[in-house]
Amino acid sequence: MGETPIDDRELRNLMTLYQRADPAALEELVRRISPPLLRYFAWSGPWSSNGWSQAGRNDTEDLLQDCWIRIHRARHTYRSTEPVMPWIYAIARHTRLDAYRKRRRLESREVLVATLPERFHQTVPDTDREPDAFERLVASLPESQREVIVMLKVSGMSLEEVANATSSTVGAVKQKAHRAYATLRRALGKDRENAG
Amino acid sequence: MPDNPLGAELERQLETWAASQPDAELSEEIQRNVQAMLKSSLTPVKPLPSQSRLILTFLVVFAACTAGVTAIMDKTGFHLATRGEIVWMTAILAGGGILFSHALAWRMVPGSRHAFPLPFVLALSGLGVIGGIALLFPWRTSRAFVSEGWPCAVMELTIAVPAAVVFCLLARRGALFGEAGAGAALGGLAVVLALTVLQFQCMFQQAPHLLVWHAGMAAILIGSGALIGAASRHEV
Repeated sequence: MGETPIDDRELRNLMTLYQRADPAALEELVRRISPPLLRYFAWSGPWSSNGWSQAGRNDTEDLLQDCWIRIHRARHTYRSTEPVMPWIYAIARHTRLDAYRKRRRLESREVLVATLPERFHQTVPDTDREPDAFERLVASLPESQREVIVMLKVSGMSLEEVANATSSTVGAVKQKAHRAYATLRRALGKDRENAG
Repeated sequence: MPDNPLGAELERQLETWAASQPDAELSEEIQRNVQAMLKSSLTPVKPLPSQSRLILTFLVVFAACTAGVTAIMDKTGFHLATRGEIVWMTAILAGGGILFSHALAWRMVPGSRHAFPLPFVLALSGLGVIGGIALLFPWRTSRAFVSEGWPCAVMELTIAVPAAVVFCLLARRGALFGEAGAGAALGGLAVVLALTVLQFQCMFQQAPHLLVWHAGMAAILIGSGALIGAASRHEV
């Protein structure tokens, strides 16, 4: 399921040095792990449809910073005998879920107004670029399936590692991936028919 | 490997999508902010002990607390029960203690492989306790079912709550997320401890009493633990 973009052995060494308070290891970890994390937040959350706009980008960057604070606080729970990415993604997943719940709570408290003031009456005003057709397809997948696809394809994690990161079983991860593939294959087939 | 052209096309598209990182280019500013923020509180930390050591710690505390509380309490149940009832119930409850210790220890480390998933632990412990009581103890009840029963439920609560606090203190070094599973695992371990003590203390060694007032209360307490866990949004 894709090649591993980050060498786990190197990450384990960096994590061990990070636990010993090596600032260079911390810098290197932030540099290496942040891009896949940013991608995970951009694609896994309920706001992924905004993933290409500045608004969505701000959300993901906030999540990334929050996630790093949590990683920092929990760094003593990492054991050098275990792979790094499932540990990182398990924390990232909770960061995302907590942010989602917080967002839902805030939204439920919002007071509805009949009409929005003129200057706020824009949905996604600052779109950087339009998502392509395949990105739209991936974004249309259910959240849990998209999360599995991102971990498998973007981070190159194994089925077992994804299962550990999501507190799930290998069977459940396989099933989600299989369903996501089936949905994407069906949609691609439809696109082809329409084009043909 | 994809077995049809559409599968191969999907695989190719996914590879391209995964390789392209237009949304994931980390701005220098964010990267610097994160690094500066973390560096300001960068101190050496001692990694958690191994999984087996964590489990052993929970089990030693479980055994010590059970023995200690049993020693200071009345042991009528121990004298009334048959040898078979004592041996089997002790084995079942000790098994529950081992399973919940595993579940709690695994939850302390994010992304670790769960040897026993929590639903399995809950199901097996529940079946063990209910099955053990139903098969080992006589099915008779007295007229004072409620008045005999509620002191046992209160006693179980009185033992389980401090036990949960003790296990919470032991587990606090781990990255326990505020979630139902962590609450249920912690509550489960405390409840099994309370059930073990109560089994030796209770003078009503009959299946209906044990099922309703001991096992029923245990289920309520584990459920409450899960609810408290879910409600407490404890940030790591």
